[in-house]
Order: sequence, then structure tokens, then C-alpha cells
Amino acid sequence: MRYTEFTPFDIVLLAQGLGVSVGLFLATTVIGLLIGTLWAVVRFYRVPVLTQVITFVAELLKNSPVLVQLFLVFFGFPAFFHINLGPVEAAVITLSGNTAAFVYVIAVSAIESIGRDQIEAARAFGLTKWQVLRHIIAPQAMAFAIGPLTGLLVNQLQVTSLISVIGVMDLTKIGNILNLRTLKPFIVWAVVGVLYYLAAKLIAYAGATLERRLRAHTAWKGL
Amino acid sequence: MIKAQSVRKVFGSVTVLDGVDLTVAPGEVVSILGSSGSGKSTLIRCINGLERLDGGSITVDDFDVSKPKELAEARKRSGTVFQMFNLYPHMTALQNVTLAPVEVLKRPKAEAEAEGRALLASVGLADRADAFPSQLSGGQRQRVGICRALAMKPRYLLLDEVTSALDPEMTADVLDILAKLAKEGTTMVFVTHEIEFARTISSRVVFLEKGRLVVDLPTEQFFAADGGLANPRIAQFLSKMRKD
Amino acid sequence: MRIDLSLLVPYLPFMLEGALLTAQVCVLALLGSLIVGALMAVARTSANTLLRRAASIYADLFRNVPFIVQLFFFYYGLPEIGIYIDAFTTGVVALSIAGGAFTSDVIRSGILAIEPGIIEAAQVSGLSKTKVFSKIVLPVALRTSVRPMGSVFINLILTSSILSTITLNELTGTAKIVASDTFKPFEVYVVLLIAYATLTYLVSLLIAALHRRLNRDLGEAVR
Ligand SMILES: Nc1ncnc2c1ncn2[C@@H]1O[C@H](COP(=O)(O)OP(=O)(O)O)[C@@H](O)[C@H]1O
Ligand SMILES: [Mg+2]
Repeated sequence: MRYTEFTPFDIVLLAQGLGVSVGLFLATTVIGLLIGTLWAVVRFYRVPVLTQVITFVAELLKNSPVLVQLFLVFFGFPAFFHINLGPVEAAVITLSGNTAAFVYVIAVSAIESIGRDQIEAARAFGLTKWQVLRHIIAPQAMAFAIGPLTGLLVNQLQVTSLISVIGVMDLTKIGNILNLRTLKPFIVWAVVGVLYYLAAKLIAYAGATLERRLRAHTAWKGL
Repeated sequence: MIKAQSVRKVFGSVTVLDGVDLTVAPGEVVSILGSSGSGKSTLIRCINGLERLDGGSITVDDFDVSKPKELAEARKRSGTVFQMFNLYPHMTALQNVTLAPVEVLKRPKAEAEAEGRALLASVGLADRADAFPSQLSGGQRQRVGICRALAMKPRYLLLDEVTSALDPEMTADVLDILAKLAKEGTTMVFVTHEIEFARTISSRVVFLEKGRLVVDLPTEQFFAADGGLANPRIAQFLSKMRKD
Repeated sequence: MRIDLSLLVPYLPFMLEGALLTAQVCVLALLGSLIVGALMAVARTSANTLLRRAASIYADLFRNVPFIVQLFFFYYGLPEIGIYIDAFTTGVVALSIAGGAFTSDVIRSGILAIEPGIIEAAQVSGLSKTKVFSKIVLPVALRTSVRPMGSVFINLILTSSILSTITLNELTGTAKIVASDTFKPFEVYVVLLIAYATLTYLVSLLIAALHRRLNRDLGEAVR
């Protein structure tokens, strides 16, 4: 049977697609945040070789199209490493790595925004490097990074739309399916666009709220 | 003739100009004195149409600055020199000077450039004509600013604290040029804190206080003990200025 | 697991053609973005409330909806209303509109950063509104915008890879063909990744040089 008109079930389809997009976004955000922060810590400890490798990889990921990264993982990895990768796994790997690269850059500049003198003073008091990182740098860097991170995440949500190209059933893929079936591109893509737009606004709003809280918190501590 | 009648200007709830009357005839050099915040800059900005009037009228050679059509004509007749120079940063000294003659007066470019170079040479900047503002000292920038205003051959020159941003040495350079212009008969309306200089070049001095023009006297009378100085506010202001 | 790139050598001319197409698309889209962005920046700084509102909605919308959704909207939608343009033109148009949203931001902040006194000086010298804009405001804003415009351009290059999804054989599109011809997706996409990163790196060097050249007259203020 072939439906060419919109059906109530299409709303369920769209909701499912949105769920997949948001779910993958959240999962890769968490993984990306962890990896990116870990990379920044490695750099903070100035681990030789590893630091250079991380910086190089991060630059490479930042300065190449996510679509190409996605193709490399989805088509390239299985062929080269002889492993099985489904579209969802490939998407998770790619998006996490890409987010990590940007998180790394933000974290590094956040750490660098804290004055050397503060760090040296704390070291002079006998704090270990880890204690300095944990108690002096982390809280301040967090307040510094929250703005750029919000911008990054709004962008990364949009980036998730690319995984539709390798067959993940995300919101954009559902858009494709509805577009082919109903042949009403304007309505379909406008609805899909509005859903992405609303999700982006939600992230921006959450980020701004979090930033306000953090700021208020640090201001209070400063008193 | 510049004619300001009952000029009122309000910012929010503050009345900055409160019924100011001022007439400037061709050939006059009128100094505007007054303490900071008394409304001197605002008066200048009303004359060249940068601020909208909230009452009264201003005409420049009978062109009403409140009427958009006439403002263009009024602006052709007056030139303004600013405290902070406000040169166009992306243009050389010469380009700063020739822009308006070419674009507004439709002068041929070559002619405008020849005149511009002559003007710059007359203020000692012959060899700096092709320098950008960032490559010039403050005094040099202000001299370009004066040339830019003069290039339009204005009948009236409006100057708002044109030496306040300069150190003393450069101030002297710029004042020399203004003195020369005064001697050549250029009509000037001239806001300044250089009291002695105002005394030597002006034909008339007016004193603004809290947006009111309280004194308008020929220079000699203004500085006479039984003239302007009889007003305690003016005496106080002058002695304070001289001390600084 | 050995990387053998010699297999790709015969395909180099083909991929270069793709790279050339990418270059064409990006340069045209950059021009398009500048035109759209300048118009929108004027609208956003104009005195007309309606115009201002419309322009900021445009900028907000096109920055918060994934590019691939915008692209599909145009690619599938335009024929629907009787506009038949090829993938190349669709790509340039879509990139220009999306890029214009970012460009309008760049130019707008360039305009707002101009010393008001400079504009007043131009006004009192008798220049008409349009002359003040074309002779003073726009050139000064454009010059200070070179660096942020560079980021927009680099993003255009990375985003242009998405045009491969509407059958345009630009750099990524040709690589896809080569990958399936040679059965060497890993090698092909690694090379492609490095090619894009190198390209954007060279562009960033070029932009830095252009910035220095255009702003040598503006002095310390912009450095
Ligand atoms: N754009 C403005 N908005 C609000 N208040 C202003 C503005 N311009 C000037 N004022 C106020 O008007 C008064 C007169 O300013 P001004 O004409 O610059 O004085 P003066 O040049 O004599 O120092 C001051 O109190 C100043 O704060
Ligand atoms: Mg003033």
C-alpha cells in the first residue's frame, strides 16, 4: 500500500527521528566532553609525544568536513581494520571524536585563560599539579568555557543531521522518507527545520541558564 | 549668517540647551566658553545638524537645519573640526581632504587633489599627504581635520575643543593655524578652554551656563572688570581655567 | 593493514576536477554570502523596525537549522514551484544564503564597531546617506571583517562537502566514486581528510596575509 498523503502516523515517525537525533546528540556530547577534557588534561601534564599527537588529530578533525570523517569511519574502518560497524556505531564514533576535538580546543584556551601567576602561587604553597587542576583551574575554566561550549553544542546538534547520509534513522532521514513518499518537499523540510530550530533554541537556553547559575555561584564565592 | 533662536535641546529629562539665541555674522570669530557639561558641544552639534532640535530654530544663510532638504545646503556652508579628529581611517590624508569636494561639490578629482595638496602644504603637511591617519601624530591629524573642513570652502568653520586632545607643543601648532585663518577673515565659531587664545583671536565671546547663554559681549568688554568679569560665575570660571 | 596509496594515483586528475568544482562553488558562495550578508547587515542596522526584525529572523533561522535540511528544502522544493536549476546552482544558492546569515553578523559587528564620530564627520561634510555608507561605513567594516570572514569562508569550504548529497561531484563527490571504484575507502577518505585540512590551512594563511595587508593603514587599533 502506498500513502501519498500525510497520515497521523507521520507525527510518530517525526518524533522517533527527533528522538534518535537528540539521543545520539546527548550520547556523543557526553563522550566528546569526556574525551576532549581528558586530552586537555594530557596536555596540561605535558605528556611528550601524546600531546603532539592529540593536537594534530584535533586540528585535523576541526579542519575537515564531518561528512568525510563519517565516510572514513563507516566505509573506511570496516574495510581497513576488518571490523563490523553499523551506521549507529559509526555515527557515535565520528560525532564523539568530532565533539572531542572542539571540546579540547575550548578546554585548552579555558585553562590558558587562567593566569600563570595563580598557578605558580598555588604550586608554591605546595599543592600538587593535580590539586591545582582540580581546585584552582577547573572551577574557573568551567565558567570560562560554558559560553563557547553552548555555541559548540548548538552546532553539533546540527552536525548530527549528516548521519542520515549513512542511513541512521534520524530526523533528517525521516524527512527524506516523508519527502519521497508525499512529494511535498516544502512542508516536509520546513517541519523538519522547525524541529531542529526548536531543539537548538532549547540547548542555547539551557546553556545560558547554566552559565548564569555558574556565574552567580562564582561571584558569590568571590565575596 | 548663522542664526540660532530660542534653541532648546533635551536629553531624556535633562534640558541641555535652554532658549539659546546666537547670531554669527560673516567675518566674526565667536568663542564659546563655559564649564564642562554646559552644552557647548551640543550647541555646535545642533548647528551642523547632528542633533535634532526640541525647540527654536537654527538657520545657516537662511537654510533651516531642521528641514532635511535645507540641511544639505546648510552643511555645504559650514565645516566642522572635531575634538577627536574623526579622520576616515581607511583613507590617506589627501583622500580625507578630497572626499567631500569630489562627492558633494562634484569637483573634478585632479583639481580637488591639487587644492588638497596645497591646503595640506599650507599647514606644513606637504610630505604627509599620502600617509594614513594611523601614521600621523595627534597634531598632524588635527591639521588634516582642519584641511578637510576647509576643502569645502565653508563660509563658517565650527570648532569644538580642537586642541583638547593634544599635548601643549602640538596645541601651539594648531592654534597658529587657527590664528592665521582668523586673520584671513575666516568666520569661526569656536569652543575652547584656551582662554588667552580666545581673547587674542575672537571678536566676540559668549558664555554658556547650564544650557543658557548668559553673556554675549565683544571680546574686550567680556574680559573687562566692569563687563563680563562683573559676573561672579564668569570670574570664577576664568580664574579656574587660568590656574589649570 | 598497510596503506598503499599508489592505487589512487590514476584517479588524481579526476579528484582534481572535483577539487576545482569545490573551489568554484566556494568562491561563488563567498561572493553570494557577502552580497546577502551586506544587504542583511544594512537591514539589521536600519531604522525600519520591520526590516530589522525580518533580517534578524533570517539570520537566526538559517544559523539554527542544519545545512543539509536547508539544502534539501531548496533542491527538492524549488522544482515544485517551477524553478528548475541544476545541483551546482542550487548548491551555490543554498551556501550563499546560509553563509549570508553568518556574514551579516560579521558585517553588522564591523559596522557597530566603527567610531560614531567618523560617521558624523562624513555626515556634516554633506555626504548623502548612501555615500556615507558606501564610502565610509562599508569599506571600514569590511576591512575589520576580514578575519571573521575568513572563518566563514573556511566553514563554507567544509560545508560544501555536503553538496555531494545532491549529486554534485565536487571533491567529496568524486572521492566517493573513487572509493567505490578502488575498494579502498580508508585510503581515499584519509587522503581526502588531509586534503581538506591542508586546503583550509592554506586559506587561513592567505586570510592572515590579506588582513595584514588591508589593515596596515588602520594602525594598532585593529591588531
Ligand atoms: N547623547 C547624549 N545623551 C544624553 N545626554 C547627553 C548627550 N550628549 C550630551 N549630553 C549631556 O548634555 C550635557 C551637555 O553636554 P555637552 O554639550 O557635551 O557639554 P560641553 O561640551 O559643554 O562639555 C551634559 O550633561 C551631557 O551629559
Ligand atoms: Mg564638549
